[in-house]
Amino acid sequence: MAEKKIAVRSQDPSQRRVLDSATRQRRLTRQLEALEKDNFQDDPHASLPQLVKRLPQFDENNESGKRRKKTRGDHFKQRFRKNFQALLEEEELSVSEGPNYLTACAEPSTLPQRHFCAVCGFPSNYTCVSCGARYCCVRCLGTHHETRCLKWTV
Amino acid sequence: MVLTRLRSDIATRKSGKSFSLYIVNNIHTNTSLVSYLTSDSCFLSVIPNCQFRSKTLRLKTFTANQLDEIKDPSGLFYILPFQKGYLVNWDVQRKVWDHLFGKEMFKVDFADTSVVITEPYFNFMSIQESMNEILFEEYQFQAALRINAGSLSAHRYFQENNSELCCIVVDSGFSFTHIAPYCRGRKMKDGICRINVGGKLLTNHLKEIISYRQLHVMDETHVINQVKEDVCYVSQDFYNDMEIAQLKGEENMVMRDYVLPDFSSIKKGFCKPREEMNFTGKYKTGEQILRLNNERFAVPEMLFHPSDIGIQEMGIPEALVNSINKMPEEMQPHFYKNIVLTGGNALFPGFRDRVYKEVRALAPAEFQVSVVLPQNPICYAWEGGKLLAENPDFEEMVVTREDYEENGHCIYEKFDI
Ligand SMILES: [Zn+2]
Ligand SMILES: [Zn+2]
Repeated sequence: MAEKKIAVRSQDPSQRRVLDSATRQRRLTRQLEALEKDNFQDDPHASLPQLVKRLPQFDENNESGKRRKKTRGDHFKQRFRKNFQALLEEEELSVSEGPNYLTACAEPSTLPQRHFCAVCGFPSNYTCVSCGARYCCVRCLGTHHETRCLKWTV
Repeated sequence: MVLTRLRSDIATRKSGKSFSLYIVNNIHTNTSLVSYLTSDSCFLSVIPNCQFRSKTLRLKTFTANQLDEIKDPSGLFYILPFQKGYLVNWDVQRKVWDHLFGKEMFKVDFADTSVVITEPYFNFMSIQESMNEILFEEYQFQAALRINAGSLSAHRYFQENNSELCCIVVDSGFSFTHIAPYCRGRKMKDGICRINVGGKLLTNHLKEIISYRQLHVMDETHVINQVKEDVCYVSQDFYNDMEIAQLKGEENMVMRDYVLPDFSSIKKGFCKPREEMNFTGKYKTGEQILRLNNERFAVPEMLFHPSDIGIQEMGIPEALVNSINKMPEEMQPHFYKNIVLTGGNALFPGFRDRVYKEVRALAPAEFQVSVVLPQNPICYAWEGGKLLAENPDFEEMVVTREDYEENGHCIYEKFDI
């Protein structure tokens, strides 16, 4: 991931920075957003933009296109190119009565939160003072400090 | 289990003398189930509902089952029509549909064909309008039925269990998991619940932890999705499995070594048989190995405890009980004994038993609990769609192109999305 490559200036472990809760929340949000991504690499066609432009769009020589009625112009194109967030906002669900997309979301669990080591994934009993990540042993804490702790800048 | 799958199903049928039926099922992995039924044949195809780009064949964008042309799918780039389970990229969707309606696949005669297509619960109004336009104005289907996949699954279930009054459908797919109660074929909207965990999140999470712990695989969705399908399972005793996974050597019954494909001599990855495993992890063969340990069950665990990775939502069993509790009291026992599991994630070994065990523990002791895993949880909704299209009442359920041309988008009142 790109964030991992951004090295933060090395810090003396005895006076490590402590991330505030807003930063920790942002970090979590970004991690969860990353889990929604379709791709992590670049589009293999992105590096050959000119070539791609010169090539015919492959749907143009598709027969069914000719037979079909041309759908109306720009208006159509725009409406058919909204992302999820834009469509969701357009629905104005926050002011409409449920049940709807927003109200259907599962409620928070009533079960206690479980904790796992951010390095090895086994159950953990300790929390990193700097960033709030969990760890299970000194070895994993060391790995965590060297790899992710404060290096995942937000 | 088929890759990651996207949501929306289509079934079409030709009316008139040749009477044929066409079904597409883009269930929520990025694969669609497609079938074309004519008076004398029915075949079901499962195709990816997306486009691909490859780093080795750089001048082409591959659509749907053209994926098979890519000999080396490492670093495969995905272009998906769906975002969070909702259809947002119509350019991609139309390319996929052009491909499968067209001469490459089904050669659909639109003027004579009705289509059944599934959409997610609470599909956005503007997406519904776009869908009407695409189906009736662009493709000019003769008639359409737009419906939730869960409704098709419920139809399928009631068909087979016709003495039952209620059922509650769990549909755990690519983008999310839905729980939806049905009473005598009626969708109980107040009980519908969405957990924002699906196969895509599980695969991405597995990629992330493997990349952090041993080998950079962030670009290898295709390969790691296969790893997930080959090695992951739902634990029946989570903390006990955690303890076993911490044992060294042969005592660790969880650990597996997975041989990654190189797409020349090894076309598909596989698990090393237990007896060939070398617990030092050093193999003399040149194969590239991934070692999977607690990942095997910690990844599907997200379906049961989304909060483990910070998604503050109930897991499937808790959400099931919560949904049932919102239903009228006299119906509740009927829901507990008719829980139906569908979608690709239902194929994880142990999934049904774990759902049963947890719902049993949470449900009132006097209620019978029964959890049904259909033989093919991925095709279940499609089977329901096929039954529906063969039903004599089908004509009453569809909206025809004439209806649409007369009444415009008002016709969506007839659809129950
Ligand atoms: Zn650890
Ligand atoms: Zn830390």
